[in-house]
Amino acid sequence: MIQTAGNMKTYKKKIKAALKNRFLRKALDNFASAYKMSRAKAFEGTNLDILKDQITDGKDQALAQLLILFDQFKAGAEAAGAIVHLAATAQEANEIITKIGRDNGVKTIVKSKSMTAEETHLNDHLETEGFKVTETDLGEWIIQLRSEGPSHMVMPAIHLSRQQVGTLFSDVTKTPVDLEDIDHMVKVARKELRPVFLDADMGISGANLAIAETGTLGIISNEGNARLTTTLPRVHVALVGLEKLVPDLSAALRIIWVLPKNATGQAMTSYVTWITGAVECAASATGKKILHIVFLDNGRLELAKNPVFSEALRCIRCGACSNVCPVYGKVGGHTLGHVYIGAIGLILTYFYHGKDKARAIVRNCLNCQACKSVCPVNIDLPFLIKKVFGNILEDEGVRPAKNIILSAVMKNRRLFHAMLRMAATLQKPLVKKDAGVLRHLPFIFGKAHDFRTLPPLAEKPFRDLWPKIRPQIQTPRFRVALFGGCVVDFVSPEQAVSLVRLLAGHEVQMEYPMGQNCCGLPAMMMAEEKTATDVAVQNLEALEPWRYDYILVLCASCGSHMKEGYSRLLAKKPEQVEKLRMLHDKLMDFSSFMVNVLKVTPKDFIQNQTRVAYHSPCHLCRGLNITREPRELLKTAGLEYAPCKDEDVCCGFGGSYSLEFPEISSEILRQKLNHVEATGADVLVTDCPGCVLQLRGGMDKKNSRIKVRHIAEIVADNLKNG
Amino acid sequence: MEQNELIDLMKEKAGLVQAVVLTVTGMEEVLRYSVDITLRQNGKTIVAPDVGTKDMQKLEKLCGVSGLTILHPPLRSHLSGIHTALTSADRAIAETGTLVLDSGSEDVRIATMLSETHIAWIPAGRIVPDTASLSAFLIGKMKSLPGYLAFITGPSRTADIERVLAIGVHGPQELHILIMEGT
Repeated sequence: MIQTAGNMKTYKKKIKAALKNRFLRKALDNFASAYKMSRAKAFEGTNLDILKDQITDGKDQALAQLLILFDQFKAGAEAAGAIVHLAATAQEANEIITKIGRDNGVKTIVKSKSMTAEETHLNDHLETEGFKVTETDLGEWIIQLRSEGPSHMVMPAIHLSRQQVGTLFSDVTKTPVDLEDIDHMVKVARKELRPVFLDADMGISGANLAIAETGTLGIISNEGNARLTTTLPRVHVALVGLEKLVPDLSAALRIIWVLPKNATGQAMTSYVTWITGAVECAASATGKKILHIVFLDNGRLELAKNPVFSEALRCIRCGACSNVCPVYGKVGGHTLGHVYIGAIGLILTYFYHGKDKARAIVRNCLNCQACKSVCPVNIDLPFLIKKVFGNILEDEGVRPAKNIILSAVMKNRRLFHAMLRMAATLQKPLVKKDAGVLRHLPFIFGKAHDFRTLPPLAEKPFRDLWPKIRPQIQTPRFRVALFGGCVVDFVSPEQAVSLVRLLAGHEVQMEYPMGQNCCGLPAMMMAEEKTATDVAVQNLEALEPWRYDYILVLCASCGSHMKEGYSRLLAKKPEQVEKLRMLHDKLMDFSSFMVNVLKVTPKDFIQNQTRVAYHSPCHLCRGLNITREPRELLKTAGLEYAPCKDEDVCCGFGGSYSLEFPEISSEILRQKLNHVEATGADVLVTDCPGCVLQLRGGMDKKNSRIKVRHIAEIVADNLKNG
Repeated sequence: MEQNELIDLMKEKAGLVQAVVLTVTGMEEVLRYSVDITLRQNGKTIVAPDVGTKDMQKLEKLCGVSGLTILHPPLRSHLSGIHTALTSADRAIAETGTLVLDSGSEDVRIATMLSETHIAWIPAGRIVPDTASLSAFLIGKMKSLPGYLAFITGPSRTADIERVLAIGVHGPQELHILIMEGT
């Protein structure tokens, strides 16, 4: 049975246990690396963005008229001899299928893989009703024999080693199995399952697509078990989620073309089966297959009308959001999902299986945006995950104390900043002089947080330094405002000071608007949307974007939240539209400004060729789509850029994530640092103060010789006239 | 795309997914190839549900000499023990190395699913560059009710244990594609 934690305490225990599973981590890690390469290869020469948009538009149109498509499908399929049902709930679907079994004298059932059947817990139901059910997809058969749920939507048994599978098979067959020989194990399954197919009275499949135009089901599979399931038994039942309906063949072909490539980097699955109605079947008394197609609603029709969440129904179950998720890679699908796994699982669980199952898992998101960037149907997964978290808090009517405090403080900038100043004074006994770190962590942190050292708050925040260093330019080429963000302002003002040094000589009039507050992303991460909205308005007012040519950020997270998050938060505030548009157009990250606007050249810098590795912050490379400029800037600034494995994988910081899930954060960080060390670089450079905090703390903790710098700092250090 | 380019692309892409692809001159060669492969694999039986009468006579002759048995439809009565299935393919998609088979006939389905080795022949003129160029054909098939249409890309495979590729889990363990040139 699937065991999903209902509260954080149980969930933490589960996480700890998962992190101890070395095989799991290694297996997922190997897969994640291989997946990236094969996916890239599969899509070579394709304009994926255009294709994604086409599929997304098609899906959205279909979702707006699901019942019309259903009627059309039903007419087509029934004209071809099928019987089409619509089940309102999971229970109803299971009962319909039970009745079909009873009416046709069915005793034994073979099943091919169906996430929808997992959703309704169909096997449990049928077994209770006295049917013998056998899963025939190899991975599904394995987990059925182990009484487990899938740990990945495409590769259900990815959490198991060959030895575990071999031992299981030798127990089941009462014959010794070579524990290393996977080919042999596959043949064992072939041999064991073949007679089960031949004896089965009924086959149950899912479907990847239901084409309304012709009443055709589309089913993809690699093993061929879906073909046997739909061919050999006299009865075939297909259980299909309503969202699988597409209007026509071309919509279906687009999905078929993308799905296997995005799922595993496979150009095409071995088999794609298109079934229209009841074909000939000698095993049936009538000579025709008894074909029932059961569509499942289970909340989908309601969800399709939801203005925020309907996009979750676009999902085509490719599982890619798990493949690229750094958290999934550390804890696996049994810890990051209920029935549905990974990013989409955190969302769908709430709607299909309720808040008790979603409550704990939904918090386990770094907001690194990797899932969003790989989703073939443009689902804004990290955003929806936070929305689900917010919904659950609202449903339960109890906000955690830290949410209430954070909201109260953040909304009031003066109070917030006063508290930071007070903390900077109070921390003094804790600060290790010279080292620039806290000697030990404040008492509120437990042992699990000890994987990195933390920097102290700066003695003087940037806003206090600013009046003394503010440049006065008579005839500026550009007027820019810096949005510092909390970490730059109060922890790492030297990063902003570096910017000031770099702008000197370029005739740039910089300003630091004093009314600026936290960007509000931490509030979004804790699902405090109201606070995040208030803070966004405060910042728009404070920044006065019409005064400047550019608004610069040194923090990618602030930048991406202000560019994308604000538009969504303020969508219903017409008075902010114009300011928002200006902010959106003028906001720019540090590297892009240096490379594309100031057009700095190697002549400006000492060419000392220090060997540097680069960490690409999630919110820069995916949030703001900036990848070329920082790397170019490093080279221009006289540094030797040493490419590093997984540069664009999250460092594990995720703001409050690293406080809530330090065990996972530290694992992700450990791997990142190992990759960096393997480059032989002397310095690790990145362009987000949050990442600097995490990476520097981690390097410091392991006494590494590698220094961690914000890109503005290292570039400023190489200035010829700096 | 020229026909020879389509053939080359089909060979390349189907080869990438462990299919064996050859060009042949005609049905004679297809029949002989099927018998040879079956013998080489120590198989005993062949099914050929959609071979025409004349070719069937030739196949019977070849099998007779080689000691192979031809299993005749309805194949429901031969669910166990099919070694080689010889069928035609209706279309091929070069871009992915895919065969398209109208499998409305239960015999075709059983042959292509339960055999150990599937040999499919296709006239070169029926290879198309990509799925999109097949839309009209597919729609036509889907509208002739009822229907069971199969895309087959390489032999049956799985990677469900430790992501290691293993061939031949439930369907045929080998897929041979014989392209008849000049047709």
